Amino acid sequence: MDTLNFIFTQILGEAYILLALVTLIGYIALKEPLSKAIAGSIKTAVGVLVLGVGSSKLTSTFGGLLDALNDKFGMTGVLLDTYSTMVATNDKLGEFVTWTVYTMLGAFIINIILVALRKYTKIRAVFLTGNVMLIQTAISTFIVYNFLHTSMLVTVLIASSITALYWGIMSTLLIKPVKEISGGADFTIGHQQMLGSLIAYKIAPKIGNKDDDIERIKLPNWLSIFQDNVVASSIVLLFFVTILMVALGKETVTTMAGGTNWIIYIVKTGLTLAVSLYILLTGVRMFVSELMYSFQGISEKILPGAVVAVDCAAVFGFAPKAVLLGFVGGAIGMIFGVVGLIVVGSPILIIPGFIPMFFDNAVIGIFANKRGGWKATLIITFCSGIIQVVGSGLAASALGINAWQGSFDWATIWLGIIYIFKCIGSFLGIC
Amino acid sequence: MIRILSICGNGMGTSTIIKIKVKGICKKLGIDVVVDSCSAGEAASFTSNTDLIITTPEWGKMIRYPEGTVLITLVNLMDEKTLTDKLVNTVKENFPDEIN
Repeated sequence: MDTLNFIFTQILGEAYILLALVTLIGYIALKEPLSKAIAGSIKTAVGVLVLGVGSSKLTSTFGGLLDALNDKFGMTGVLLDTYSTMVATNDKLGEFVTWTVYTMLGAFIINIILVALRKYTKIRAVFLTGNVMLIQTAISTFIVYNFLHTSMLVTVLIASSITALYWGIMSTLLIKPVKEISGGADFTIGHQQMLGSLIAYKIAPKIGNKDDDIERIKLPNWLSIFQDNVVASSIVLLFFVTILMVALGKETVTTMAGGTNWIIYIVKTGLTLAVSLYILLTGVRMFVSELMYSFQGISEKILPGAVVAVDCAAVFGFAPKAVLLGFVGGAIGMIFGVVGLIVVGSPILIIPGFIPMFFDNAVIGIFANKRGGWKATLIITFCSGIIQVVGSGLAASALGINAWQGSFDWATIWLGIIYIFKCIGSFLGIC
Repeated sequence: MIRILSICGNGMGTSTIIKIKVKGICKKLGIDVVVDSCSAGEAASFTSNTDLIITTPEWGKMIRYPEGTVLITLVNLMDEKTLTDKLVNTVKENFPDEIN
């Protein structure tokens, strides 16, 4: 019994060992040499631990800021950032955090089964975006557990089924639109704004004219600095942290800063948040490509010829200017949403992050521009920015956490899923 | 062995897709490669140890790399045929000893 206990709590209870084992098994199943399999699993383990370093740095930097906000105004701050949301929900899951890995594997398997049965399910796309799979399954595990308090097996089964259905249905619906924007490429997007992209694709022709294609217009050169993630996330975070700190007032910030000058402290806090996200991302990058390599290889073996759903960045090359225009429209919409929430007296203060601001509206912008030109792009991404802010505020307050994805689908589809589980939970008298 | 680096804005989506595709293609063709991926912001610290850079046309215009490093740009990352053709041609031209 002691050995079993050791295996389940010490080995399989640690996410870095568990994910390293998944990589190892994946490589062996793909008949890669053992040396490569071992190297891959070591990189996975190190990557997961690096992610942990970034997570705790983020929690400590951001936590102080949120506490000050709460003390001064009684407001709860919510950061819109994908990885921070995973950090927040994983913290809440505590000792059950490894359940999220089983949900990820479960959702991958169910996705493959749904595609294998495509004659009946109509689902044709296999979701292979490792970073997104990791985050989404972690959060869905938490949503199910938070409202139902179910056992591991039931939680993992429910969370992986819902996530796999979301992946399969939404990315299959985007196969045709992606074909159109890419001029016939045979893949689809597996990301976080698939509903937003689909809506943009459907309504853009009614709002604008596709002959006003932004790709034919010259954009100011300075906008291109937003394509560099370190620069862009630093600027965005610095901007919102400065506003936040100025609202807190010089006195409060000086106390928080200790001996440091308060302006320097603001700059350092904004940049330190960017640093935490950068460390996080470095960790994720290290192990996600290992995981994706296995996932892709295994799905090709089981389901040759299935449509692959990959990171939204795969479509950026087809419309680089629409990417930037979408970002601008989305950023303005998000700021508008944040101010709007303050004006109506919301107890939640949304702090937009770069990832949902850029990636969501960039993709939505590509679909909008292709079908409705630059006017439709600006209008649709502006609205999407507002929806992202308001929907995320509702989702974060329903779950009681201080970070949310911020992405379009997570402010719409998943907001609905959260409310359904909340209703079921309260109907059963659980929460 | 050819050292390949794939680059994109965030060092996550595009570059990972390229990395996985390149690994698969080179395995099939029997070309010995190591593939790394990074964001454009970090590229400068990697390019001195790189033989071949693969990225999108926009990034190709913006990144700087040492003389002697070869650049391949791709619009459709998922188009395996074009990537294979470009890779094979580049390797034949610049690294003839690596392919038979």
